[in-house]
Amino acid sequence: MNKIINVNLGGYPFTIDEDAYAHLNGYLETIHAHFKKSEGYEEITGDIESRMAELFSDKLKGAKIISLQSVKDVIKVMGTPEDFGAAPIHESIEADSYSTIQKGKTAKRFFRDSEDKILGGVASGMSAYFGIKDPLWLRLGFLIAFISGFGILLYIVLWVLAPETASAADRLAMRGEPININNIAKTVEEEIDGVGERLSNLTHKFDGKKKPRRERVNLGYSYRKGSIS
Amino acid sequence: MKIENTKAQMRKGILELCILSIIAEQESYPSDIIGKLKESELIVVEGTLYPLLTRLKNAGLLHYNWKESHKGPPRKYYQLTKEGHQFLNELIGTWSSLVKAVELTTKNVISNE
Repeated sequence: MNKIINVNLGGYPFTIDEDAYAHLNGYLETIHAHFKKSEGYEEITGDIESRMAELFSDKLKGAKIISLQSVKDVIKVMGTPEDFGAAPIHESIEADSYSTIQKGKTAKRFFRDSEDKILGGVASGMSAYFGIKDPLWLRLGFLIAFISGFGILLYIVLWVLAPETASAADRLAMRGEPININNIAKTVEEEIDGVGERLSNLTHKFDGKKKPRRERVNLGYSYRKGSIS
Repeated sequence: MKIENTKAQMRKGILELCILSIIAEQESYPSDIIGKLKESELIVVEGTLYPLLTRLKNAGLLHYNWKESHKGPPRKYYQLTKEGHQFLNELIGTWSSLVKAVELTTKNVISNE
């Protein structure tokens, strides 16, 4: 059994397996990131999404649900930014500077980690920023600072200033990892695992109570017409 | 220096000429264009074509009409504008002189290698 998700791709509705969705979403995020700086960004990504919608409806032929395999097949046809190869000659300067950002030298950004937080995720975000593996040390530091007084204000200021991670790409930027299809797929998978873990924690919490309440989990899938955001 | 990169640059340089020629022959939908480019091994993945078409369109060399399709979303059919035809003619001129220049400068090497 597999969970399914309804999506709007290029203005067309599709029903898609959960794992296939994670893969597709990761792919589209790389495509969007790749073309973000190109002139006609919306049109290019719109064209690509419509074409993918067409390839999916071609592939489905009576079947109802898009599988991971068909997502992989369609991505093979469209290609990843790595397959797009060298940039056209007169675009190469811009594209080169973009690819150096992409390859390894991704600047770290200070985010609050939405996936690993006790209060606002400031300590875990800061740990990721400074490359400290376990946020426990900074949490202890903040705790000491709280007790001594001035820490609360500092924490609140950081909380307000730092944006919270909202997407897989944000989480990669937080750790300073390059934003590419493999990394995004990895991060999305981690996030889905995280949801599973929190769900099972939740059920454990309700064990022992007479009547477990049904929790509705918002996975945060949001769509606007014609594109997956 | 990577040979693959140089090869890709060579192909990219003539891609615009080839795309414009395909569209000049008949009004085309991106996947027709891709089919022909794939046959000639000029591009391998479809994602390469869309940014190029958008750029040629924004430069005023192409324009498109929407046409309904039997399955899936409506399709864009591209045509050359007047400027597009002029642009293509010039490219063809440049291409012919390039072919001659390359033949002239490489013929000794090519026969020896």
